[in-house]
Amino acid sequence: MTALGWHLSEKEWTEWLRVLLESGIAVIAPVLGTTGTSEFQRVGSAEEAAAPPPSRTAMSPKKFLFPQSEVLFSFDFSGESATLSQPEMERGRQLLVGLRPCDAAGLRRLDEVFLSEPEDPTYSERRQRTVIVSQACTQAGQSCFCTAVGGSPSGREGADLALTKLEGSGDLLLEPVTAGGEELAAPASASWRPITAEDRAQAARQAEAVTSAITREPLPPNAPPILASSFDSPAWAEVADGCIGCGICAYACPSCSCFDITDSGGAACGSRCRSWDSCAFSTFTRHASGHNPRADQPSRYRQRVMHKFSYFPAEHGGEMMCVGCGRCIDLCPAGVDIHHAVLALASGATLRVQARSGVKA
Amino acid sequence: MSATATLLPDLARITGARDETYDVRTLQIELVERDRAESFTWRPGQFAMISVFGFGEAALTITNPPDEEGFIEITFREMGKLTSALRRLSTGQIVGVRGPFGNSFPLDEWGGRDIVFVGGGIGMAALHAPLAAVLRERDRFGEVTVVVGAKSASDLVYRGEFDEWQRAGGARLIRAVDPGGEVDGWDGEVGLLPDVFERLGLSGAETVVVVCGPPVMLDFMLKATSRLGTPPARVITTLENRMKCGLGYCGHCSVGRFMVCRDGPVISGEALATLPKEL
Amino acid sequence: MTKVELRGTVEAGARWKPRVVAFTCNWCSYSGADMAGTARIGYAPNVRLVRMLCSGRLDPIFILKAFEEGADGVLVSGCHPGDCHYVQGNLYTRRRLEVFANLMEFVGIDPRRLSFAWVSASEGVKWSRVVDQVVSQVAEAGPVGSWAVLHAPSTLAPQPRQPAQPPRQPPSEEEVRQTTLNLRELARRLLENGEVSRIIGYAHSAGGMSAAPAFIDTPEDAERLAWSANSPGNLTAYLSGPNRARRPGKTAVVVKTCDARSLGGLLRENQLPRDEVVAIGVSCSGQWSGGRLAAKCYACESDISPLADWSVGAGGIADGPHPGTARAVAPDPRDAEIAALASLPAGERLAFWTGEFDRCIRCYACRSACPMCYCETCIADKTQPQWIPAASSGPGNFAWNITRAMHLAGRCADCDECARACPSNIRLDLVNHSISRSIERSFGSRVEADPAAVAPLTTYRPGDPDRFL
Repeated sequence: MTALGWHLSEKEWTEWLRVLLESGIAVIAPVLGTTGTSEFQRVGSAEEAAAPPPSRTAMSPKKFLFPQSEVLFSFDFSGESATLSQPEMERGRQLLVGLRPCDAAGLRRLDEVFLSEPEDPTYSERRQRTVIVSQACTQAGQSCFCTAVGGSPSGREGADLALTKLEGSGDLLLEPVTAGGEELAAPASASWRPITAEDRAQAARQAEAVTSAITREPLPPNAPPILASSFDSPAWAEVADGCIGCGICAYACPSCSCFDITDSGGAACGSRCRSWDSCAFSTFTRHASGHNPRADQPSRYRQRVMHKFSYFPAEHGGEMMCVGCGRCIDLCPAGVDIHHAVLALASGATLRVQARSGVKA
Repeated sequence: MSATATLLPDLARITGARDETYDVRTLQIELVERDRAESFTWRPGQFAMISVFGFGEAALTITNPPDEEGFIEITFREMGKLTSALRRLSTGQIVGVRGPFGNSFPLDEWGGRDIVFVGGGIGMAALHAPLAAVLRERDRFGEVTVVVGAKSASDLVYRGEFDEWQRAGGARLIRAVDPGGEVDGWDGEVGLLPDVFERLGLSGAETVVVVCGPPVMLDFMLKATSRLGTPPARVITTLENRMKCGLGYCGHCSVGRFMVCRDGPVISGEALATLPKEL
Repeated sequence: MTKVELRGTVEAGARWKPRVVAFTCNWCSYSGADMAGTARIGYAPNVRLVRMLCSGRLDPIFILKAFEEGADGVLVSGCHPGDCHYVQGNLYTRRRLEVFANLMEFVGIDPRRLSFAWVSASEGVKWSRVVDQVVSQVAEAGPVGSWAVLHAPSTLAPQPRQPAQPPRQPPSEEEVRQTTLNLRELARRLLENGEVSRIIGYAHSAGGMSAAPAFIDTPEDAERLAWSANSPGNLTAYLSGPNRARRPGKTAVVVKTCDARSLGGLLRENQLPRDEVVAIGVSCSGQWSGGRLAAKCYACESDISPLADWSVGAGGIADGPHPGTARAVAPDPRDAEIAALASLPAGERLAFWTGEFDRCIRCYACRSACPMCYCETCIADKTQPQWIPAASSGPGNFAWNITRAMHLAGRCADCDECARACPSNIRLDLVNHSISRSIERSFGSRVEADPAAVAPLTTYRPGDPDRFL
């Protein structure tokens, strides 16, 4: 990689986004919605994309690679011949900006699921025309725990370009992470100032400050094997006590990838859809006979935790299928806290005793 | 398996249908496109995702042996949304097929051994392909016994094939019904399959026991075989779970790290013991 | 403002003929239609009949399904009041459809698409007249296209969530602390002397909730209990249904005044025996979050529910319901929002609600958080038939949200838990509250905490509002 990065003024950054927008790239950024929360949306202007609201989006950006509901194909048997037709895919490139490092890392987890053999064609197609710009965090939320699961508020995993906003000047440091990111920046970067050592020092100071503001404890390094051996622990019932079996955690999660396939329409014509699904639903595993291998809510919650912190790491060199974004903690209507749950299980103690250990004094 | 995970089925036509019981039916299906049909090869134990368009898709085991080229057969009990819709279809109608998926029965390892097939209810469907394959190469194996059970006499599947299985030194057949399921003149066994199996002492240290039935039956079969001295490595079963993609990534069929569609459905009692108790 | 066009509206108007689905009861209206046929009384050929044993069988989801499958209009027809083959089936339906029609109007559906009639077996002429009238009405309204695949941009400004001055102040830290200590004291006592085997209350949380549900089974563990001025979560949701977390013996549950209404509902609907639950009423001056009082609390008159077996406040613990002195109330801010919405043209209301329901991600948190959603198998999970399309898109989202609202009509405890749980901030509170208000207007009754009180849609009066032709 030749370029090491550039120092852009806010104006230069906005200008570049404008150039990209005008070239026809779909730009997706966090936008403050009508209900007071911010969400990733396709934006119409560079200004909107350049200044994302400070709050974390309620939902992760995964729907731009893995839509909540997508038509796989439609069928028509009403005429002379039976036909299946796949929907036209959009062809244009899309640029995701304003992702927190955890969001970008979450998308990388989706890559693991959808791009490993056998590769998912629609995900792969979307992924290939997507460029991801992550932005280093400037603040830590109460539920943030990226540092507990191997991430960092200035991490670059999953990003093609990494952006850091400098406090004070408001200038931005843009650094290519992948060849794709560098390529996108290439035409414009000739006129940009290179990053200085001073810039890097300031970025490092900022990153350190945010990291130390994260109050949640790291997981013990041997958490995955401990979890693997605690399938029958009574603590599951305790950590999942309040779980009411809704799908918020899975749907808000940047790395949850499970899906359902359903048909709609009638026998003559209709379509088959792929939609997000959640292991918290009783219907997730229920057989047609009514038999349900995961008959109660604790066993479903255990699946969620084990998949993320034990099964997935075992097959991916210890990497967890959780990036510590904290959305599931913030949005859970029943106060279930996955960080607490893993800590409680990994420490071998029960939640009753460990009630508040997830937060440093 | 191709490198791409296709969720797009091939169109197929129903070319034959027969009722096995009042609620169990076997369909013969041919892929519409000839080159797809020719490249569709499978091994006993593999399954296909069968679509009824407008209703959905379900994993159903392919019940005919692979040397029957050009068509596949499936046997299903009318149970949920998909199988109810499938039951209403008849010859000439269109369904969708994806697959074949999953691993298969290790027939190569069974050479020279006595084999006992134990099928409870619709579980017998999953044993049909390996049984047929074994009977085709009858000389390669020792004694072959088929224990087929159901809750009542009228629920026994594949009754029309019983004679054929037993013909010319093929297989010894034992029929069993649950207590209360016998009818007047019933001359088979009465009792739950694992009990019948144990009572008749059907396996020993060297026997291969191939079993498929409801989850609770599996537990009892493992206990029964263990008491008869059959090592769990030689008790082979095939699992069933709710499935959506068949390709190991929709998340539905996992039992711990084991994905029934990708790592199964065929599994030995030995491997099964390492899985979380979540079946 | 946005003009909402139903998809397919501009399809060659000349060729289009309205399709109307008529749900008729077997005994009167179906026979009435038959009578019209045998007597050769002509009527518009656009109607497709679905025969039911009684109009009382009609779940509003049938109507939604008809629209979803392409009907341009729906007619429901039953026996005249007093003539029901089952004595009173049509009288229950009259109430249910009154509420449904009001809800449809509130969300902006053209009222011309939905008609009701009483047609007896001998009224072939009336049947013919009703069908002609309904068909011409639907023809005027135009093709529905796929009625709920309405993609109207939600251009309306967000409704101000809390415009009015709260009638009360939040409790002081000391009051909250004392209440917590008293709650722990009572919990310890109840667990120690074996009166209850479990207490479902709140505990401090480090996560997104200021107070999370806690399940306390030992006297020592009672230390975890906490009360705060922001203790969301209606814990009666853990008393029955799929979330049931009761223990053998008695389970005590900490309830706010609003939560106790759903406890009353569960008792009324026989979801648990009264003697297996101990209601700990905690003195609640309202739910405060970020300095704002929850809308449901403005008009709440009492800090302790009459259903309380124990009352706990900063002042102490008392046996039975001991509400504090009369307190200040203010008009429910939701009423103002509903009135503002209701004053908009129908198209704009539809645009607003389509925008709301479009955000639904079908996580079913509304259902899971709701104490009154206790069905072991929800209609959304039924696949034969697939009543509600599973994919999170227009038709399914509309059908889900309206169906859930109707299944709660006359049962909703007005706790707004669904709206709190919703990660997309859909204004489910306004949907449910508008239904409660429409029930009050139409029948003069509301959902009470008292388990002995009759629920509004499980009864009828001869003089109920009647919009049937």
